Amino acid sequence: MHQTIPQQIVIDCTNLTTREINQKLKALASEGISTKLLNPAGRHNLAVGITQNIIISIAGPVGYYCGGLSDNINIEVFGDCGWSVGENLMSGNITIHGNASANAAASAHGGKICILGNAGPRAGISLKGATLIVSGNVGYGSAFMMQQGCMIVCGDAGANLADSIYEGAIFVGGEINSLGADAKLELMNDTDWQLLEQELSAFNISARDYNFKKVICAKRLYHFKAKDWGNY
Amino acid sequence: MCGIAGIIYRQPELYKNLGIDLLQLIQPLETRGPDSCGVGIYSNSVSHNVKILLFATEQVAWEEVKKWLQNQVQVIKFDVIGSGRRIIIDTTNQALDLAEFKHHLATHFPQIHLMSIGHLLEIYKEVGTAENLFQKYQLKDFSGSHGIGHTRMATESVVDTYHSHPFTSAPDLCLVHNGQISNYYKLRFFLEKKSIEFETNNDSEAIAHYIRYQLLQGFSLEQALQNLLNDIDGTYTFLVATSDKIALVRDKFAAKPAVIYETPEMIAIASEYRCFLSLPHYNPNAKISEPDAGEIKIWSTNNTQQRTFSNQRDSVLTLGSWLIANS
Repeated sequence: MHQTIPQQIVIDCTNLTTREINQKLKALASEGISTKLLNPAGRHNLAVGITQNIIISIAGPVGYYCGGLSDNINIEVFGDCGWSVGENLMSGNITIHGNASANAAASAHGGKICILGNAGPRAGISLKGATLIVSGNVGYGSAFMMQQGCMIVCGDAGANLADSIYEGAIFVGGEINSLGADAKLELMNDTDWQLLEQELSAFNISARDYNFKKVICAKRLYHFKAKDWGNY
Repeated sequence: MCGIAGIIYRQPELYKNLGIDLLQLIQPLETRGPDSCGVGIYSNSVSHNVKILLFATEQVAWEEVKKWLQNQVQVIKFDVIGSGRRIIIDTTNQALDLAEFKHHLATHFPQIHLMSIGHLLEIYKEVGTAENLFQKYQLKDFSGSHGIGHTRMATESVVDTYHSHPFTSAPDLCLVHNGQISNYYKLRFFLEKKSIEFETNNDSEAIAHYIRYQLLQGFSLEQALQNLLNDIDGTYTFLVATSDKIALVRDKFAAKPAVIYETPEMIAIASEYRCFLSLPHYNPNAKISEPDAGEIKIWSTNNTQQRTFSNQRDSVLTLGSWLIANS
């Protein structure tokens, strides 16, 4: 089923079940062999739950939860991806050369998820420490309940950005449709620009080309008081 | 979870593919909805003809139904189809009084369910797989300008044919829905007060009735759907089809998925991207997009231009305030 090229194994997904593909990936990860997946055909749950270092290149669009629940992985997808790419990622890199649907990097604890295109609604929802970079726009309700980490959006952000955020920072290069409850704009400082330059230079994006704005938690609603009801 | 799908062609030469295209599009969505499958197909028809699909699981004296109809209108066809009947009537000289027909069915044949009625629309739905449904009614051979389909995972009401999608509330109008309606009971109570009769306990039926009610108030489909975004609370992505249009509506939270596939030949809508890959004439250069939160998209058969509306608008109708006042 798979042909061996030096240092890389090619797996054709066509006649394999998702479980078979993921079991193969886990076995290859334990041996430290890099892998290329052909014909993913928008399939869900690819490269999920892999906890050892592996480089996976996916040639084509993937479905939901790609790379989710993984640790120490390196995935590159050459195509669009469905909901919740990199959900609960612990560490590693996931790069999407295409657009992402809803919930990109949902509750990701660590590592870096890069969408070189647009991301849909609720990008970075409940982000718990990972870095999410989107070179295009993000949709409605992005960074909802974000708890830690960093989200960088070069394009525009949809309505209700950073609603009920706890900690962390969101940088938006384009227009922000509206901020959610308890989110506020903060002045950019030199450290912020350094961070952006450092993170974006890897994708040949110059941070200074964008008018980045920083969004953080206003911390007015940290403790619930009945008189604040209207602010929620 | 449920799966929804729709196809609308931009070129009449492709109408012949509708049955097979719809099957290919809906079949991958069985993973989202294994309970039942249904389609609403808009196929070619003579302008004065009306198609009626009747369904019953119990014994029915079909001859008496036929006789009653023949007394009202000119019956062209009265074919056995599955455990129901597919009837074609000619309304050139005498139109069918739909209200009276429904009343007659309800009083004399309560076991009969009116699946669909219209110049173009035919609804087929059943518990089980898409393959079974298409085989049973030979839907692969169907041609038409547009159609919608659904695979159901029941969350709100029982699994049977009546509670399967599509739902219809008026001639040539049907709807497939993925999601849950949070204010269903209030909505149903409101509509029932307007003398609308519900046939099932499925929340999606309320959306179909709501749209019909809005259209009867004189609103255009566009306006009706804008009002709906404000009046209907919950999670929903649904497709509603009329004799010449398919509209896609996504709730303000974008909670349920939809992907749009667009080529010069056709537009296809499905819950998941992978469905498009199984289209027999899949075009890798198709434009793939997703509707935004609170977005309405409408495509029509005679004018393939797409119209898009956004949600940022206050309720113009009484229902919103009525619901609040009665809560």
